[in-house]
Amino acid sequence: MEITVHLFSHLKYALEAASLTLDLPAGATSADVVDAVRGRLSAPQADIPLQVAVNQVYVREAVPLQAGDEVALIPPVQGG
Amino acid sequence: MVLAEMVGGPLPPFSADPEGGKTGAEVVFQGRVRDEENGRAIVALDYEVYAGMAGKELSAIVAETAGRFDIQDLFCRHRTGLVPVGEASLQIVIWSRHREAGLEAVAWLVREIKLRVPVWKWGICADGERFPSVAGARDPS
Repeated sequence: MEITVHLFSHLKYALEAASLTLDLPAGATSADVVDAVRGRLSAPQADIPLQVAVNQVYVREAVPLQAGDEVALIPPVQGG
Repeated sequence: MVLAEMVGGPLPPFSADPEGGKTGAEVVFQGRVRDEENGRAIVALDYEVYAGMAGKELSAIVAETAGRFDIQDLFCRHRTGLVPVGEASLQIVIWSRHREAGLEAVAWLVREIKLRVPVWKWGICADGERFPSVAGARDPS
């Protein structure tokens, strides 16, 4: 299944893209997305802590994904 | 009354107390863009947001603040996009019957915004260079 992953800040800068489309097997989870994206990064970006949002809601643990889910990798936020 | 907005331009002037006469404290906080980011001179910050989710998180945090503290009214606006040095990027006004609740509420609200709202800063240099800010990095000053 295809999953679109939104990227921000350092991830966008390092991968030169605002989003990626990943082809993941059925049963893949949000943790698989994190692993797949980290695999494309080198230090220091690969070591940045990430939160994950699925369909614009933070998920604290790995959750199964469905085709069409909106996944975002959230580096430490910097509002204010 | 509670208001939370992501704003793509200069922030409007502070509103008058919507509960005029019933509140004894008006707590105002404005976060402004410094001329330095991660030790580098800048002319502006560009606030990148996760469209949709940033507004939802801000609204949720503002609602939590209103429920957690004994306050009457709360307005909170966060800018998006380019914000020149010296301009406000975050504006909060809280009205409460007594000062303690308002002061505690604004401190809690700012802390939660900095933990949860998906917004990121990009430094803009005078020569146009654009760089992602390093979260948690402290300016030398």
